Amino acid sequence: MLIMSIETSCDETAIAICENGRKVLTDQIFSQADLHAVYGGVVPEIASRSHVEVISQLAQRALTVTGLQKSDLDAIAVTYAPGLIGALLVGVNFAKSAAFALDIPLIPVHHIKGHVAANYIAFPQLAPPFLCLAISGGNTLLIDVKDYTDMEILGATRDDAAGECFDKTARILGLPYPGGKHIDTLSRNGDDTKYPLPRANIEGSLWDMSFSGLKTAVINLVHKAEQKGEELDRACLASSFTRAVSDSLVPRTMALARELGYKKIAVAGGVAANSRIRQDFETAAKNEGVELFIPPLSLCGDNAAMIGCQGYYEFLAGVRAGTDLNAYANMEL
Amino acid sequence: MMILGIESSAKAASAALCHEGVLIAQYFQNSSLTHSRTLLPMIEDLLKNLETSLRDIDLIAVSKGPGSFTGIRIGISAVKGLCWALDAPACGVSTLEAMAYNGLSAPSGSLICCCMDARREQFYNALFEMQDGKPHRLCPDRAISAHELAGEINNFEKDVFLVGDGSHLCYNTLDNFKGNIILAPEPLRYQSAWGVCMAAAQEKPQPADELLPVYLRLSQAERERQAKVFGNAPAEKD
Ligand SMILES: [Zn+2]
Repeated sequence: MLIMSIETSCDETAIAICENGRKVLTDQIFSQADLHAVYGGVVPEIASRSHVEVISQLAQRALTVTGLQKSDLDAIAVTYAPGLIGALLVGVNFAKSAAFALDIPLIPVHHIKGHVAANYIAFPQLAPPFLCLAISGGNTLLIDVKDYTDMEILGATRDDAAGECFDKTARILGLPYPGGKHIDTLSRNGDDTKYPLPRANIEGSLWDMSFSGLKTAVINLVHKAEQKGEELDRACLASSFTRAVSDSLVPRTMALARELGYKKIAVAGGVAANSRIRQDFETAAKNEGVELFIPPLSLCGDNAAMIGCQGYYEFLAGVRAGTDLNAYANMEL
Repeated sequence: MMILGIESSAKAASAALCHEGVLIAQYFQNSSLTHSRTLLPMIEDLLKNLETSLRDIDLIAVSKGPGSFTGIRIGISAVKGLCWALDAPACGVSTLEAMAYNGLSAPSGSLICCCMDARREQFYNALFEMQDGKPHRLCPDRAISAHELAGEINNFEKDVFLVGDGSHLCYNTLDNFKGNIILAPEPLRYQSAWGVCMAAAQEKPQPADELLPVYLRLSQAERERQAKVFGNAPAEKD
């Protein structure tokens, strides 16, 4: 079964074609990162404008590079939530019309479920149930993946997402947008114990997290140093910061897996590209005899292949949308 | 020629089918429901009721702006999806030009003033003159202040027919006007998919993937950045 999938929830326009969910025939991505870099973050109106400019060409390219015809497509899957509403609307309306005109099923896909599914593409042997930590610019979620389409959120950040915290810290350190990659590079040569920073714990709630305190602590540290005219060691700060995030995520995820009796842990989302977090997860998983799944960098960020993969499982579960499908900025998992 | 017209540039949305300039069917909805939800079902129902299919349509036309940024993108994204799937060309027409057809009943020689409320004390506007039963364009689409527009209309010394969701506001600013001002009746003020079909019949189709929205305005972030870089507010783009 061939599914064309469309993803426009943030600043990547992406269109993929997947066979039976896990085999990616093509994953076309047009990244707008350059357009947003001068603003130090994603500008929703600029993202929406860019999506509508390139979407047809991207769909056409997906066909051209695979040598497929439109008549070969069995369904169209699209990210309908959550994300930037104006950006989502472009993908949803393109997908709806194309599916209607081709007279093939339309499958709505939740963006976060797509991130979880990136693991199925990377690891052909992986099947639910497992615990997944989804970490991105918009989300920090501990998800009990009971089945391909049945998931439950057991823990979440109460304020900033981990990725948001990375972006803000990068800005404070004067690093260019998107900051995650630059913090990663900078932190490799730093002492991670030099600056003591708070962990994201919440009293009385084991699985929920809070990253706003960490962000504030970094801001205060930088301001105080400025006032005193002291030079901060940016590499050490980046390293101490990354460790604080990792310490908030890795032990918590391991503990929840233990509690659930799961021997499989998956990590998903853009922050899963961070080398320190990957390494800490690998060490912890080895110590506890847990199987660890982290997709390659190319599948951590937003892409359409993961939407096509999840779309396939949604299709098998009977999920369809009509011509009245709408997009939503927020949506329960 | 069978034209499917789509209009979603403001609060109302509509879809229409015209054959050789004759309106066959039109669905119009002026509600608070989002076009993202209502537009495609309107098209689906319209085709179903006419026992026709997308394959019987020669041209798909859409209003490409100016108007609500989101509304325009919903219409254009929908048309891009349809045309990509059908390997068909598209036709993007000016929202204001399509709206000018609402003034077809105005006498020859009179001015049709299309104005949409663009907020920030401006109208999206274009002026047309009725000649030989058709609106003829007198100026490009633009964003213009109420005061400036009133001054221009006064200079024409012609009778004026006002259409668009900003027409009432425009009517109120033209208080010292010498000629006749006709404010289009409520249902004739709104842009319609029929007008899109009429305007499209005058234009050449284009590859649908090249269809671009016409905003007449930078995004707020771009405006603010320009103001910061150049130290002043940039002039509105025409
Ligand atoms: Zn994402």
